[in-house]
Amino acid sequence: MNLIALSLLLSITAYSTAGGVDFGAGIWDLLAGTSARGREARALIDHAMAPVWEVNNVWLAFAIVLCWTGFPIFFQSTFTSLYPLFSLALIGLILRGAFFAFRHVADEPRAHRIADLVFGLSSVLTPFFFAASLGAIASGRVGIAGPSQSVLAASFSPMSISFGLVSLAATAFSGASFLVGDARRYGADELVRYFRRRAVTAALVLIAMGSVALVTIGFQAPTLFRSMLAGPGLPFALITMIVTPLVAFLHWRGIFRWYRVLTVGAVGSMVMAWGFAQSPYLLPGQLTIAQAAAPPGTQALLLIVGAALVLVIAPAMALLYYLDQRSALDVPKA
Amino acid sequence: MTSTVWLAGESALLPSRIQMAFTLASHVLLVPLGVALPSLTLLMEGIGIARNDPVALKIARRWSVVMAVQFAVGAVTGTILSFEFGILWPRMMGRFGAAIGLGFAIEGLAFFLEAIFIGIYLYGWERLPRRTHFMLGLVLPPAGLLGAFGVLSANSWMNTPGGVTLQAGRLVDVNVIAALFTHALGYEFWHFLIAIYMTAGFAVASVYAVAWLRGRRDHYQRLAFLVSFTVAAALTPVQLVVGDLSARALVTDQPAKFAATEVTWKTRDHNPEVIGGLIDDSGDVRFGIAVPVLDSILVGYSPNAVVRGLTDFAANARPSTVEANITHLAFDAMVGLGTAGAALAAWYFWVLLRRRRLPESVWFYRLAALGGVGCYLAVEAGWVTTEVGRQPWIVYGLMRVSDAVTSAPASFVWTMLATLVVVYALIAYFFVTLLLRLAARWRREDLKTPTAPEEGVPYGPRPARFPEPGS
Ligand code: HDD
Ligand code: HEM
Ligand code: HEM
Repeated sequence: MNLIALSLLLSITAYSTAGGVDFGAGIWDLLAGTSARGREARALIDHAMAPVWEVNNVWLAFAIVLCWTGFPIFFQSTFTSLYPLFSLALIGLILRGAFFAFRHVADEPRAHRIADLVFGLSSVLTPFFFAASLGAIASGRVGIAGPSQSVLAASFSPMSISFGLVSLAATAFSGASFLVGDARRYGADELVRYFRRRAVTAALVLIAMGSVALVTIGFQAPTLFRSMLAGPGLPFALITMIVTPLVAFLHWRGIFRWYRVLTVGAVGSMVMAWGFAQSPYLLPGQLTIAQAAAPPGTQALLLIVGAALVLVIAPAMALLYYLDQRSALDVPKA
Repeated sequence: MTSTVWLAGESALLPSRIQMAFTLASHVLLVPLGVALPSLTLLMEGIGIARNDPVALKIARRWSVVMAVQFAVGAVTGTILSFEFGILWPRMMGRFGAAIGLGFAIEGLAFFLEAIFIGIYLYGWERLPRRTHFMLGLVLPPAGLLGAFGVLSANSWMNTPGGVTLQAGRLVDVNVIAALFTHALGYEFWHFLIAIYMTAGFAVASVYAVAWLRGRRDHYQRLAFLVSFTVAAALTPVQLVVGDLSARALVTDQPAKFAATEVTWKTRDHNPEVIGGLIDDSGDVRFGIAVPVLDSILVGYSPNAVVRGLTDFAANARPSTVEANITHLAFDAMVGLGTAGAALAAWYFWVLLRRRRLPESVWFYRLAALGGVGCYLAVEAGWVTTEVGRQPWIVYGLMRVSDAVTSAPASFVWTMLATLVVVYALIAYFFVTLLLRLAARWRREDLKTPTAPEEGVPYGPRPARFPEPGS
């Protein structure tokens, strides 16, 4: 795996973890129901996701740009084969952004309920279809410059659907886990218990879904399966398998230590397990990273941009998160 | 390539072009305030700090909220654009992604900086020491500049591609510097940069011109109008000069586009400048006003200067008559609006410098109230000139739009286009409602004790208190 492919994988991982927390919060919003406790949970969710929303979105835009600049042929191939998946994810993404904003504008209760519903549903659609596209790539049905079967067969296969379902479980899991932290910050004990229970449930669903997906991979993409369980994907697969139940245990027992870092670790490793298991291939069996790579000049510029990103953005982002955590505690003067 | 693929590709061409034009034209409406408003805001904050003027600080703080809302909607519509490159034009990206992507990679870096520092700037009001807050804000203008550079570099590459080595149509080598700094960047970048600063200035000034017309004429209104309008008015004459340089450069860079902007049919000397008017397939121009010889003089400083016409290019390598007409009318609209803006700027500076006060004529403020809309129209017209005038090429001289388009069926693209139109209409509605509400709230608050301006904004900082459920 070269550095640019690694950066691409890291951007996808960052989007899946940071963005995943956000989508997960949206899923719990959808499932909160209309009870009094549901209203409280919604208020917390709204509160928790506002400030970092855009930054999460930038990871996605950056991954896309890295993909077409660093591996143009790969970009062409995936979009030619999987445009239905990307279009659905995209529609979900804008609906989500628009209706999240609309919730703050709507006064009328009915309009508010519709906004809640669309926001929640699009929080399900978007991660599902993005993850499904990764599953479709892993299934080997994306051919060079076009699908190896029909576009529909390439887009919707057992692999793509199982990847999509895993992503829903994973985002629900990380969403609940982080909402426990937000509820604690505001001293809302009832909500802490509410989301702890949901984090445990989601972890169990994730473990079940993950196992189903693994079996699907075993049948549909045996090469990938082997390198996931015996090759470079193994360390990451192991981390996921150990850490996910561990986080569930922490929430079950109400031990509020390390659970957020471990949640990110569990979900992130899952993405890395796929990425490392598939390397050196971008399209399994057909196109390697080296074959798809852009000319050297372009690669050099991408590396410079990547280095600048690490040097400049990392401290800036740390500052943002620091201020966010601090300023929510003190009362601002008008 | 099989003929079925080609046929399917051709049928999706029309909806794909409409979708690209629609989403780009929407996105670019959000760009001026996203990129240029931070500078105006910082200028105002600087005035506030230097003079210890709470009114200036309040104005700056409110502008920063508008800037954040703009940025958030821009982020969504911009992300859509980058996916569309893959969904609609996969073959262009497959062939030239390694060159077009250079600018966008730099833009990605800039977006990160902007997204983070807009967050910090918005949180920081009253929570950070004043000077620290101002200094942190200083990251925003250069980040916006870098982002604009990236996008414009990519677009200029499509107009005057360079820095690439092709072998049998395949891109084998990229000279990064040459591909980033192609010839068109020299004029497109400056022209666009001035355009967005002008637009931000005129648009902000419009708001306060309307307030003036409604009788609100205190220190708050005057200061906000003075700062924003002065910036815009000072840039307008510069823009005319830079625009003129762009047009002259087109004569050599993209002669077919230039012929379209002037609806010149046959190559000739003593070419007239046609204002308005439409050309038909036999080369006759109707309804226009022709100023004899002016085009030749503008291009070559002499009536004998020869200007190339559309028929100098093969029919499949130049804009069609419809496209030429669109390009021509858009170009005329841009130049007309620019000239009107310059006249308004002259009026303004005449009063300001002679009488040392703001104009007091109602007509001045009526025109100033229209300045913002006029600028947005000019920006759209400018992009139409650039993009439609380049037809039928997606990458000038190297790849046709019809060779780049997706192989997805047309029905799919039409469906997606319809969905996008509906969703964009919703977004536009929410966006405008939100801004109007903010304005109404701020007006109410000016009458009683204020809350923090950024409270209640979807993408703003979290309030310190956890709201009561249901509130
Ligand atoms: C300088 C002018 C300019 C122009 C001509 C464009 N954009 Fe833009 N774009 C911006 C200036 C900008 C911006 C003002 O910097 C935005 C608005 C809000 C934001 O997040 O950044 C932005 C947002 C934005 C984003 C979202 C980034 C994020 O998530 O924060 C993407 C992916 C693009 N744009 C991509 C494009 C593409 C593919 C364009 C043309 C085809 C394009 N932009 C034209
Ligand atoms: C880097 C920046 C840009 C790139 C890469 C780009 C790329 C494209 C592409 C791929 C198309 C479709 C093919 C075509 O019909 O020509 C297009 C068309 C178009 N673009 Fe641009 N564009 C850029 C900037 C802009 C901006 C900012 C606008 C603002 C409004 C714009 C306006 C248009 C219009 C109106 C069309 C339709 C032209 C037609 O179909 O006849 N472009 N552009
Ligand atoms: C006398 C006045 C003007 C002239 C002669 C002029 C000329 C031009 C020309 C020739 C182009 C096409 C460049 C290309 O295809 O590469 C262009 C593009 C453009 N114009 Fe103008 N222009 C004028 C005024 C304005 C004004 C007042 C605005 C907005 C405030 C504006 C905004 C734009 C934009 C946004 C573009 C597209 C991007 C770019 O090339 O930077 N123009 N202009």
